[in-house]
Amino acid sequence: MRIVLAEDQFLLREGLTRLLDSFGHEVVAVACTGPDAQEALVRHRPDIGVVDVRMPPENTDDGLRAALAARREIPGLPILVLSQHVEQLYARELLADGAGGVGYLLKDRVFDAAEFSESLERVASGGTALDPVVVARLLDRPASTRLATLTEREREMLALMAQGLSNNAIARALHLSEGAVSKYTTSTFDKLGLAADPSTNRRVLAVIAYLEDAERL
Amino acid sequence: MLAQKKPMPGTTAGRVARSAVLGVLRSSAFAACALLVPFLVALVPVLAAFGLLGSPWSWSNAWSWAALALIAVPVTLALAHPVAGIFRQLIRRWTSVHMEAGFRELPEPVRLSTGYWWNGSSYERSYEDARMDLRARRIAEPAYWREVRWAVIAAATVGVVCAIPGVALICALCLLLSASPLPTALGVLLLAACFAVAPWTWRIVLPLAQRWLAPSADRERSAAELKSQRAELSAAHDAEIRRIERDLHDGAQARLVSVGLDLAAAERLIRTDPDRAEVMLRSARDGTRASLSELRDLVHGVYPPVLIERGLVPAIRTAALDTRLRVAVTGDDRLRLPSPLAAALYFAVRELLANVAKHAGTAEASVRVAAEGGLVTVTVSDAGSGGASLRPGQGLDGVRRRLEAFDATLDIRSPAGGPTEITVRAPCA
Repeated sequence: MRIVLAEDQFLLREGLTRLLDSFGHEVVAVACTGPDAQEALVRHRPDIGVVDVRMPPENTDDGLRAALAARREIPGLPILVLSQHVEQLYARELLADGAGGVGYLLKDRVFDAAEFSESLERVASGGTALDPVVVARLLDRPASTRLATLTEREREMLALMAQGLSNNAIARALHLSEGAVSKYTTSTFDKLGLAADPSTNRRVLAVIAYLEDAERL
Repeated sequence: MLAQKKPMPGTTAGRVARSAVLGVLRSSAFAACALLVPFLVALVPVLAAFGLLGSPWSWSNAWSWAALALIAVPVTLALAHPVAGIFRQLIRRWTSVHMEAGFRELPEPVRLSTGYWWNGSSYERSYEDARMDLRARRIAEPAYWREVRWAVIAAATVGVVCAIPGVALICALCLLLSASPLPTALGVLLLAACFAVAPWTWRIVLPLAQRWLAPSADRERSAAELKSQRAELSAAHDAEIRRIERDLHDGAQARLVSVGLDLAAAERLIRTDPDRAEVMLRSARDGTRASLSELRDLVHGVYPPVLIERGLVPAIRTAALDTRLRVAVTGDDRLRLPSPLAAALYFAVRELLANVAKHAGTAEASVRVAAEGGLVTVTVSDAGSGGASLRPGQGLDGVRRRLEAFDATLDIRSPAGGPTEITVRAPCA
């Protein structure tokens, strides 16, 4: 895959470049600031952009804003955001357009090379990869409104779906048959009021509903 | 007392003479002190008049006077503090009245783990720089401007009145030196007048200084308040730094040592026993991950990243997710406050929400943030059991005291049976 890498810290930039190289991917451009990142993402239209949240010049969430801006110009441009901390708020902003092709992981996830590579592939092909930490925090909380109607099993499954797992992978994780999982998926979509519509990605919409739930009263 | 035990040599006349001589000396000392600044400023035209400066200074040229003002201002600003210091010292020696300068006490700079010094206002490379920076900041204090004001007032009052005995003495001596009888008689008269007023002239300094130089009573009270606030803050700061040090020492640092050990062992085993080496490598990776997660928690407790990246309202939203409560947060997401104030408000809200979770017996709360007219208002309310109050040494009192440093107030409305509404108001320029 062709990758644009936006990371301002030298050591991490070099390390990530080496890692991506070792997967057989090609880093076509590196950017060290938010504006550079946006420019590189739009110009190179990579298969996936790997972006750090905090970058110069303002050292706030410049990288995230650059990624969102690039996605506004090129809808669905796959972006994997890596950060030292993950926030549910940012996850929702990334997913908000409902187009999918979004990942949001802690930087330590790269330690598990196989899983990281899988997340890259998944995001590049329009799926999602949310860090388990974002998801776990939400599972701890009492559910409200729409999610309150879900059964324990359906919520569990939705959490795994939020991490980006396929039905097949969810089945393996929960020790269920794939048929059972797709039944649960359908019932979940129904309860969340997500109609089968080929133009939208129901899995992404379900995840957005899941993330929004925490702030809805 | 001493004077009574050891009777003065001589009689009443001797005591009068002593007080007259002392009076001349003290008056002259005060006058010299008060006139130091005018003297230095006047030096310019005087030297110029004698052609010593080589400058075209002239009494009739308006620009010359402008230049004089240009000299007078920096000289006054530079000497105000030492002059006031000498006044305070002389007053204490001769009247036993102790006069506070009224400056805030310099906080002791703290050495941070980065090796830099933090003096409560800025980071500096060395202890000396940190102290110097603090001293430079004194220019902004009211105490300094009181001293500048005193330098001007003293020159016009003390400088004139206290100069009388000295000037009279010098004139009298000059007159006495002449041989003719009339000036001699005048000299004697002048001498008598000089010694008559000398015991009294220097005494005008004390009431004047008490009125214009000493810090006023309510200022002293607020200084005491500031002192206790600062003590509170530096204690909290110190405790915070110790906690960070301990967390790093017991957590990440120890873990990284063990990661290093694992890697060293793996390096040694990689050829002879690749299986065990692999186990070591995996353990090293797990250790790295664990220390990263600990560092992340630590950073979150020091200054939450969202607060830096997004500001107060989104940070409160995020904090609300960490509690077991459902919290409705309303406020302008784009509101940007000075960083220390934002952090103080953030941690206050977190503590208030924790209080709700612990004591209110409800699972819902709301936070409202509003800023207008230079005032930011944060309201945390719940429909729980109520009865929250400020008890010294307890949680809410701690919140109030930490907010005090920002001139923020904490209002509690919490009748028994609820609902509870706690409002924090802070000025935000």
